[in-house]
Amino acid sequence: MSKGMPHFTSVAFSVLFGLPVVAALLACIARFAGKAARALRMGAAVGTVLAMVAGTVLAINAWAQGVPLHFDLSFFSPLPFLVSLDRLGGFFLFIVCGVSLPAVVFSFPYTEHHYPQPRAAWYWAFLPLFLLSMVMVVTGATVFAFFAGWELMTLLSAALIFLEGDGEERRRDIFLYLLTMHAGAALVLSAFLLFSPDAPSLDFASLRAAGLAMPAADKAAIFLLAFFGFATKAGIIPLHVWLPRAHPIAPTPVSALMSGIMLKTAVYAFVRFVFDFLSGGPAWGGYLVLAAGAVSAVLGILYAIFEPELKRLLAYSSVENIGIIYLAIGAAMLCRSSGVQVFAALALMAALIHSLNHAIFKNLLFLGAGAISFRTHSLRLNELGGLLKSMPTAGTVMLVGCVSIAGLPLFNGFVGEWLAFQSFLGGGQAAQPLPQLVLPLMAGVLALTGALAAACFASAYGAAFLGRPRKAEVPAAKVPLAMLLPLVVLAGACAVIGVFPMLALRPIWDLTATLVPGGDFQSVAAIAGGIQKVALITLAGVVAAFVVRTVVRVAPTWACGLAGLTARMQYTATSFSKPIRTVFSPVYRADRKLEILPENRPYFPDSISYRSTRTLSYEKLLYRPVVDAIMATAQQLRRLQTGNIQWYLLYIFLALVAMLLLMRFR
Amino acid sequence: MALKVAQFVFLVLSAPLVRGTIARLKALLQRRRGASVWRPYAELGKLFRKEDLAPTSASWLFRAAPRMAFAMTVAATAFVPVITSAGMISFTGDFILLVYLLAFGRFLLMLGGFDSGSSFGGMGGSREAMVSVLAEAPLVLSLMALALAAKSSSLAAIVGWTGAQNFFNISVVHVLALTSLLFVAIAETGRMPVDNPTTHLELTMLHEAMVLEYSGPSLAFVEWAHAIKLNLLAGLLVALFAPWGIATSWTAAALALALLLYVLKLAVAMAAIALLESCVAKLRMYAVPEFFGIATALSILAIVFTVIMRRQP
Repeated sequence: MSKGMPHFTSVAFSVLFGLPVVAALLACIARFAGKAARALRMGAAVGTVLAMVAGTVLAINAWAQGVPLHFDLSFFSPLPFLVSLDRLGGFFLFIVCGVSLPAVVFSFPYTEHHYPQPRAAWYWAFLPLFLLSMVMVVTGATVFAFFAGWELMTLLSAALIFLEGDGEERRRDIFLYLLTMHAGAALVLSAFLLFSPDAPSLDFASLRAAGLAMPAADKAAIFLLAFFGFATKAGIIPLHVWLPRAHPIAPTPVSALMSGIMLKTAVYAFVRFVFDFLSGGPAWGGYLVLAAGAVSAVLGILYAIFEPELKRLLAYSSVENIGIIYLAIGAAMLCRSSGVQVFAALALMAALIHSLNHAIFKNLLFLGAGAISFRTHSLRLNELGGLLKSMPTAGTVMLVGCVSIAGLPLFNGFVGEWLAFQSFLGGGQAAQPLPQLVLPLMAGVLALTGALAAACFASAYGAAFLGRPRKAEVPAAKVPLAMLLPLVVLAGACAVIGVFPMLALRPIWDLTATLVPGGDFQSVAAIAGGIQKVALITLAGVVAAFVVRTVVRVAPTWACGLAGLTARMQYTATSFSKPIRTVFSPVYRADRKLEILPENRPYFPDSISYRSTRTLSYEKLLYRPVVDAIMATAQQLRRLQTGNIQWYLLYIFLALVAMLLLMRFR
Repeated sequence: MALKVAQFVFLVLSAPLVRGTIARLKALLQRRRGASVWRPYAELGKLFRKEDLAPTSASWLFRAAPRMAFAMTVAATAFVPVITSAGMISFTGDFILLVYLLAFGRFLLMLGGFDSGSSFGGMGGSREAMVSVLAEAPLVLSLMALALAAKSSSLAAIVGWTGAQNFFNISVVHVLALTSLLFVAIAETGRMPVDNPTTHLELTMLHEAMVLEYSGPSLAFVEWAHAIKLNLLAGLLVALFAPWGIATSWTAAALALALLLYVLKLAVAMAAIALLESCVAKLRMYAVPEFFGIATALSILAIVFTVIMRRQP
């Protein structure tokens, strides 16, 4: 324990790392506790909440102190396990602990309602540890601490996905998830190990020192490994295939945590690598990151529009938002390498605040989806409708979520996009012609993404919440207050950051200054004043508009003078997106199946069924050869496996001799 | 400040007049007598006095959407400089906020269309969504190109920079950006050849289908907001591409001259719109992407030329 550190910091660290373990143990006992089981699960939930509160306090403290807070857990671990909290780690710790709180609170009524007792206990055994693993990732200051968290995060989230159900297809999806995550983890581990020739030990301080002295070729190799490793976790296209499969099939609060928060750990790690260890990365790196971000942003939202199921739509929209974050990171790298430091700082701020904002509104939207399925037992947009009338609170906060994620002003999503636009514009002042051209063009990509997101969420919200209900029987299950309250809190956060962005920008500015010096805070502060004036005018306008005296009469919807307008005649999410899907049809190359029965009466059929699925051609094109090559190699390697122990001893002997020779003649 | 507020109020209040004048000019071009230029005011007055019909299926959002969209459009007007060289609100990067405020208004009206519970609202919203998706990139890119050419990022600074240039020194960036912005403005305000503001035939409607279910004061807000949007974009184009004569000092003479010149410039713009709308037919809806393809290509070229211009000493 370093001198002068306030006592309460170590208490808070102990609570943060200890309570989740205690909570998990409580939940394990709950399986055998009979009548006290509910109380024990409640205890686990309270313990988790307290740990998250401790983490939030620590995160704020890390920002206020400005010096890294350290905590040594090596006593509990076989390898050095040092926890350290600088401003970057503190910011992401705030996302992991603070923003996940509503999802944790939401979980309790959700699991009590949806799961039988043993499964609810399992849920509370895994959830605190899952959160703890993310805490380890963002606070770990040794490779071991980071990597232990990184691996546990994957395994525990897979375990939580299994809680929602089992089946052939789910197992395939979870297998794919684990497979891609481990491929990514292998790359990440290689990136860490490449430091080792230059670094005396594998803690972050020596990696940082090694990064300064390292030859450029090594740096480039580390950058590439880290880029692909973390891009797999972040769901960058085309490494995203697991994301839209794994996220929607998890329990809804876990989907929220995976999409809203777990993806951000990859952003954290990538920023840590590029701006902390590699001091900005190679000059060409910015283009790679920009390209990855642009492709993910546009394709992610285009795929989201295609999805008729709310949770899958939200999963694809996570791909889009990660794309926006990567666009901003790429702009930061490119601005930095082309000598416009001021805008590098702006771009990094854009990436960071969008990480926070996306965590907030994605949690809100996923939890809102949980409230919808609680009430209607369906998340298929084309079966819902008119929910704003039957669930006014959830409907209103979901509207806030949709507006925020569409990046519209007066809500938080806009702040990050504005900063990104500013940095793209500033990139035009770079000295070289290529960044001068590329960065402003990225503004077009971001604008297209924003407009597509607005269309996507207008369609999703309109189909689910507006118009008349398409399913007649909405079960009268009232959503409990404990589920609504987290939604209201998250929606409030969207609005507060949207109108008072300085609340979030000030800490982010302090953090950015440690990574990219030479920024200019005045140009950032400009947006706050502008937004507040607009908010005032808008408020005045709305008030004035409502003051106008009106006589309202409720009348049937106009049906071209005919009677019998039914709910099925409304536009659905699918029909709403049709023009956009037509315009972008080369992207989808939809696979259509039309079945008319009976076939001999095409004009007066008994039934028509139509299915349209997005082709996965490029995914197949990209992954099939890799999978085939792995399978072919495995077939060849099978010959080594004779099952005869003498052969295996020979292999060991040969390997030993080879190693000795290698060491001797190196 | 008082003058900037006056400019803002002027833009909001004069919007129906602009619409009425275009309609009158179109009528004259088609050898009809046409209605008075003040007719849009009378229509708004009539609508405000009528009752507001809400469909049975509608929620609170149905009535809130046009009012909120109106407020957003009004707020966007505060950015536009037409007579004095700065709008009421001006800061670095203000044009992004302006673009997104207009997008917000459109988003709300799409939701309002959904809430009507008939297929018209959804249909109009869906088509409007397509148009807005295609228009957003060229809009932002051409504004970006102007900002790059002027080396500043607020509307006031861009207007000031252009105003300080000689007319014959105006660069190719401006020509490209102006053409692209014209395409976008036509689409954003729902005019020919992208949309037909006078039609009420469901096969051809975009904007009008989306707001079909509105009546009374709600419709008045929709119509007024639509007129403001047209006025705002026309004013913006005039200020960005022909700012000469805009008042840079606060003297009465300068202001009077600026107002006079602005009215003249706007008259030319209105005549151009009327002429265009009388000459061209509405595009088939799936020909609209090609229309925007041109706009996007032009705006990208504008960005490319900002780089090329910089290379030359």
